[in-house]
Amino acid sequence: MSALLELSEVSVSIGRAALLERISLRLEPGHILGLVGESGSGKSLTAMAAMGLLPLIGGRVTGGTVRFDGQDIAAMTDGQRRALRGRRIGFVTQNPMTALDPVQRIGAQIDVVSRLHLGLSRQAARARTLDLLTQLRIPEAAAVAEAWPHQLSGGMKQRIVIAMALAGDPDLIVADEPTTALDVTVQAQIIQILGALVRERGLALLLITHDMGVVAQICDRVAVLYAGRLAEENAVDPIFAAPAHPYTRALIGCIPQEGMARGSLHGIPGAVPGALQFPPGCRFHPRCPQASALCRATVPPLTPHGAGIAACHHLSVEAR
Amino acid sequence: MTPPPLIRIEALTRRFETGGGFLKRPRTMMAVQDVSLSIARGEVVGVVGESGCGKSTLARLVLRLLEPTSGRVLLGDSELTALPPAALRAARKRMAMVFQDPYSSLDPRYSLAEVLAEPFVVQRRALPSGAVAAMLAAVGLPETLATSHPHQLSGGQRQRVGIARALALEPEFLVLDEPTASLDVSIQAQIIDLLADLRDRLGLTYLFISHDLGLVRYFCDRIVVMYLGAVVEVLPHADAAPRHPYTRALIDSGFAPDPARRRTIAPLTGEIPSPFALPPGCAFAGRCPRATDRCRTDRPALGGDAAHPVACFHPH
Ligand SMILES: Nc1ncnc2c1ncn2[C@@H]1O[C@H](COP(=O)(O)OP(=O)(O)OP(=O)(O)O)[C@@H](O)[C@H]1O
Ligand SMILES: Nc1ncnc2c1ncn2[C@@H]1O[C@H](COP(=O)(O)OP(=O)(O)OP(=O)(O)O)[C@@H](O)[C@H]1O
Ligand code: SF4
Ligand SMILES: [Mg+2]
Ligand SMILES: [Mg+2]
Repeated sequence: MSALLELSEVSVSIGRAALLERISLRLEPGHILGLVGESGSGKSLTAMAAMGLLPLIGGRVTGGTVRFDGQDIAAMTDGQRRALRGRRIGFVTQNPMTALDPVQRIGAQIDVVSRLHLGLSRQAARARTLDLLTQLRIPEAAAVAEAWPHQLSGGMKQRIVIAMALAGDPDLIVADEPTTALDVTVQAQIIQILGALVRERGLALLLITHDMGVVAQICDRVAVLYAGRLAEENAVDPIFAAPAHPYTRALIGCIPQEGMARGSLHGIPGAVPGALQFPPGCRFHPRCPQASALCRATVPPLTPHGAGIAACHHLSVEAR
Repeated sequence: MTPPPLIRIEALTRRFETGGGFLKRPRTMMAVQDVSLSIARGEVVGVVGESGCGKSTLARLVLRLLEPTSGRVLLGDSELTALPPAALRAARKRMAMVFQDPYSSLDPRYSLAEVLAEPFVVQRRALPSGAVAAMLAAVGLPETLATSHPHQLSGGQRQRVGIARALALEPEFLVLDEPTASLDVSIQAQIIDLLADLRDRLGLTYLFISHDLGLVRYFCDRIVVMYLGAVVEVLPHADAAPRHPYTRALIDSGFAPDPARRRTIAPLTGEIPSPFALPPGCAFAGRCPRATDRCRTDRPALGGDAAHPVACFHPH
């Protein structure tokens, strides 16, 4: 199947800091790609690059191409890029408060998306809004549409932001930590709703999260970022059952699991380096239990690995 | 004979009045309601529950950083909640708190050496020579960081400083209020390792607060589950089968990091009631799959098996 979103060796800088290096990803309709990695590894920047939003934060693509539905977004006019967002790409931000206007009623904020991007009349837009709220299992949709943002709980607000992202009938949803601020009982519900939307409507979802449980639950494929580079990309089953990259293995090993004895959980020593302190060779080498002299000197190339790719001089043999 | 508990919490309650003003009636909310709990020396007791259920309020009440509306807290034989200021200051040496946010709990103007010396200043005690280096070493930080300022540290390093500061006066009892909530899982695991090691080496007792049931089950001996200010269940150990429907829902809502264990979660329906207007019966009744008419009119008390109490008319 052809990719809806395709990043080919995309590099990104902000000022003089080279923050992303040769990131390649592809996402097909009806699929969910999880983007994981510790804080500062480059997940949000990758999402901004995918949506052509880097200029907003003073960033630029210094190499590679981003294609949406086969079209190079760098070759589009500003107007075309703006039309892409909202109409074909919906964005769900981490913090619902920044996405909602506190002095506008909920319904009006959702209506405007379909009026703008789908050219719907006032009435048709409202009907669509109520329909979306109902699909997102919001009880009493009509009453909620008349509410102000501050009257809703965090979980409700997050669902409203998802409704706004869906209102333009997009093909791609980019969701940056959509459930991080929510309680687990609410998170479970929202993750299931997102999963169902993808399957039912054939949407594509780029899901940024640092919750490996959420990844295991709904993603088809997983891209693991470390210090601005892609460490590994593969289908979800091998990522968990036989992670090829030492970083992927270490990340999974950090999660407390049922029945685990106290003392059996080990963190990853050290911390993600900032862009101005990237070490030479493999950027993970100072924290990697397998690091050798080769790792310290030479950048490991991304190589095909089973159904995916990984960049490590000492890929797990069992994973082959 | 079992040794007497280090901490005894008895019927602790805290109400907040808010919103009073022009033409507005003040509203009362129960942040912590009738909580009783004993903690043995060396024990790690976990407290879990969702945002706003009263975990931080309970933490502050236990250390008497906040006055209770009613109820008592005893540290050994002394009743903390009745101590006059001078005696309270002396008692404070025996206990300390580690806060959730390592970004805002350390004053950016001070160097780490000054941050770590502060508890001695508060207690009007001389700083023993070599103490700062020893405190840094105890939490796995190099001595060279002593002259650094908090903004120069990573989140994990800052939280280590927070723990070092809490340990400065060699307390017996630590309250840890979501000490890893703002950290990556990779760093969280490091901090949990450190806390386990400190407990073993120094014989510490912890009240460990978290919204992450998986983490609490991994780290704690006993687990207190709170819902809207009240304790609904105390799990006697991490693997105890949950009996309260809310504890069940919490466990069922977590996704295992294993695609082979994907499943459909029956979502809780209904909204969480406002803490200002708790329903007359069980606070969980509106979302509970087992609720009956009785649950909506009568409030279930925490009871049943003393080792595994539960507040529910229809426990599992
Ligand atoms: N506007 C900016 N100016 C300079 N550096 C930036 C900017 N935005 C991000 N960075 C840097 O780029 C790197 C990647 O940032 P990014 O926000 O993509 O991380 P992330 O993986 O999304 O992390 P988190 O999990 O904390 O959201 C970090 O080192 C960050 O400090
Ligand atoms: N000083 C205060 N004045 C009024 N209400 C307060 C005050 N402190 C806490 N509350 C309220 O008491 C309730 C319990 O708050 P608390 O901070 O203890 O919850 P929590 O379980 O720690 O939540 P979180 O997981 O979000 O940290 C909340 O509804 C909160 O708004
Ligand atoms: S290349 Fe070397 S240092 Fe990098 S992850 Fe692989 S083994 Fe570790
Ligand atoms: Mg981010
Ligand atoms: Mg709290």
